[in-house]
Amino acid sequence: MMNKRIHAKYFSRFLNLLPHRLSCHDSTRATIAFFSVSGIDVLDSLDLISEQSKQNIIEWIYGLQVIPKEGNVKCGGFQGCTALNLLDPPENCSTDNYKWGHLAMTYTCIAILVILGDDLSRLDRKAIVDGVKSVQKPDGSFSASIEGNEFDMRFVYCACCICYMINDWGDVDKELMGRYILSSIRYDGGVSQHVENESHGGTTFCALAALQLSDQMHLLTSKQLEKVKRWLLFRQDGGFQGRPNKPIDTCYSFWIGSALKIIDAFELSNFKENREYILSCQDIVVGGFSKWSGTTSDPFHTYFGLCGLSFLREPGLLDVMPSLNISMRAYERLKSIHKVWDLNSQMEVQLNIE
Amino acid sequence: MSDSSDEEFNEGYVMYRHRREWSDVHPIKQNDGKNPIVAIAYSERFLDVYDYFRAILATQEKSERALELTNDALKLNAANYTVWQYRREIIKALKKDLYEELNYIADVIEDNPKNYQVWHHRRVIVEWLNDPSEELLLTEKILDLDAKNYHAWQHRQWAIETFSLYDNELAYIDKLLSADVRNNSAWNQRFFILKHMGLTLETVQREIHYAINRIRLVKNNESSWNYLKGLLESGDFQISQFPDVEAFTEDLYNSGNRAPYLLAFLVDMYIEKTLHIYETNSYDDPEIFARKVYEICDMLANHYDTIRYKYWKYISQKFRTEKERAKVGPNNDDTPANEEATNSEEQKLNGEAN
Repeated sequence: MMNKRIHAKYFSRFLNLLPHRLSCHDSTRATIAFFSVSGIDVLDSLDLISEQSKQNIIEWIYGLQVIPKEGNVKCGGFQGCTALNLLDPPENCSTDNYKWGHLAMTYTCIAILVILGDDLSRLDRKAIVDGVKSVQKPDGSFSASIEGNEFDMRFVYCACCICYMINDWGDVDKELMGRYILSSIRYDGGVSQHVENESHGGTTFCALAALQLSDQMHLLTSKQLEKVKRWLLFRQDGGFQGRPNKPIDTCYSFWIGSALKIIDAFELSNFKENREYILSCQDIVVGGFSKWSGTTSDPFHTYFGLCGLSFLREPGLLDVMPSLNISMRAYERLKSIHKVWDLNSQMEVQLNIE
Repeated sequence: MSDSSDEEFNEGYVMYRHRREWSDVHPIKQNDGKNPIVAIAYSERFLDVYDYFRAILATQEKSERALELTNDALKLNAANYTVWQYRREIIKALKKDLYEELNYIADVIEDNPKNYQVWHHRRVIVEWLNDPSEELLLTEKILDLDAKNYHAWQHRQWAIETFSLYDNELAYIDKLLSADVRNNSAWNQRFFILKHMGLTLETVQREIHYAINRIRLVKNNESSWNYLKGLLESGDFQISQFPDVEAFTEDLYNSGNRAPYLLAFLVDMYIEKTLHIYETNSYDDPEIFARKVYEICDMLANHYDTIRYKYWKYISQKFRTEKERAKVGPNNDDTPANEEATNSEEQKLNGEAN
């Protein structure tokens, strides 16, 4: 059985303060915040975060937003941490030139805002979608930022989450992106991180979720669909592994489970064994889940373990929207924000006509 | 999540703020906002190094001492892509010996073989040098420690493809597969190499024998079966063009082997044969093969692959439907285009439901 409170408290601790040995995660603090906030949400325990704390989180997240100056390079989006936010900056300071939105951080930051009930009114949506477009590569894939980062399927997924959440695809070339995804389907039916690399559970999820969010599932032939279905289901060996002949690991109960949900085949997996494995990785003393039973838990595996359990309809957990990787409740909230945006733009059009 | 440590630093380490040669620089503190979340209890050294990093970034100082500072900053957090980016700018400005940098980054990769930024840096330096002569050796060194390291394989593929280093790769893969025939990364690499050499009928035939020989050694190995299947589906080949494969799998079955991958292979083969007979109106009796499909699916579901019980029931049911459709005739409403349209309709509905 699962003790919800102990896991929610586990996340709360990460939201507060991390020990210095986690300094090597400094650049991705936003993702740790995402695992914690979304995890507490999936545990249906947002009441554990006071209204004041929620506001503090929202403010800190908006502090990561990059709003490029007029005429500058299109690097809008969110940073992963405040390392380049300066206290008492000197005059003519160049650090701002290195503040770039990072797709994974932009995705997780917007998701946090939605989960906590922010209305997203302070997002610079134009700068964000321009930022996404500016990191699209000639092969259709995306890089994390305008410079200094690699490009692959992970950022294709993040790009789709961002455009879907801000409800604007701007000049993003969806067709080219679709071709990149198709070119990354491997001979065994799975999808690689980048074209001819090995099929991988995480990137197969990224590819399928990206196709769904960009409304391009029709690009897959029924043969490809059946093949990836088998590849995904063959990953189960109690819990799920990420690649053939690799050990099973809690987080793949989400990556593979979610990919199966997207192609409507999750019901074909073995619920009982999956659940048993995830629960065996639970730390019932300090809270959290680990990748293998008996090892130390961390926010990443805790979050994905919980999402995996949610797919299995574990009592007390909120449903998770597979492709966006947030609770269904947060997803509904996002939909209602989109409605407001639609109404506003309709009104603007009308005002212009009048 | 891995941890960072300050242990790498010498005992005589002096804080930058106490170094006389840095006295002309004004350190700049980070602004983590009024109420930071996921705050890190940075060590004194971390704060010191990054305060000075912000300072040189602000003034765009590109000097020997700035380069040294990035060493320390990266020791504390090798995932900070801004530091890597700035390091590259310094190297360029000072016209540093890039081979020296190649040695430096090799050491860093050995300490952080699963960090994205370090491999990205390596790639950029190799591109600048336009010299890939060390890349195969380096990745072999990393793969010696973990033969499935995704980063190493990705880098290796990139180097091979960019600089046409295909020549000795099959021998290397062969070595890895001799050490561990379940190394899926090596099988994937093999497919990648052959695809680039051209998957002619002759090559496919030769590779089929390679796979079959490997399967003979270890029969219950998904990687080698996937490879075999991938070859057969790599062009417009029909399984009937490869009578050896049919003979091999049926012999294996008749000898009593019941590896799930063999059984799955036979299911696919007999489905193909049944449907082919109906579609071509040949005089063979399709029901002979159809009965085998049902029989083996049952075997898998109930004895040899029980974790995928629901999947094999699904395959059996799906085959029944397809067979009925094939019986009616090929020129009805089930042309591929139509099938695909139906499929995408279904997916849309599923997408909505999600």
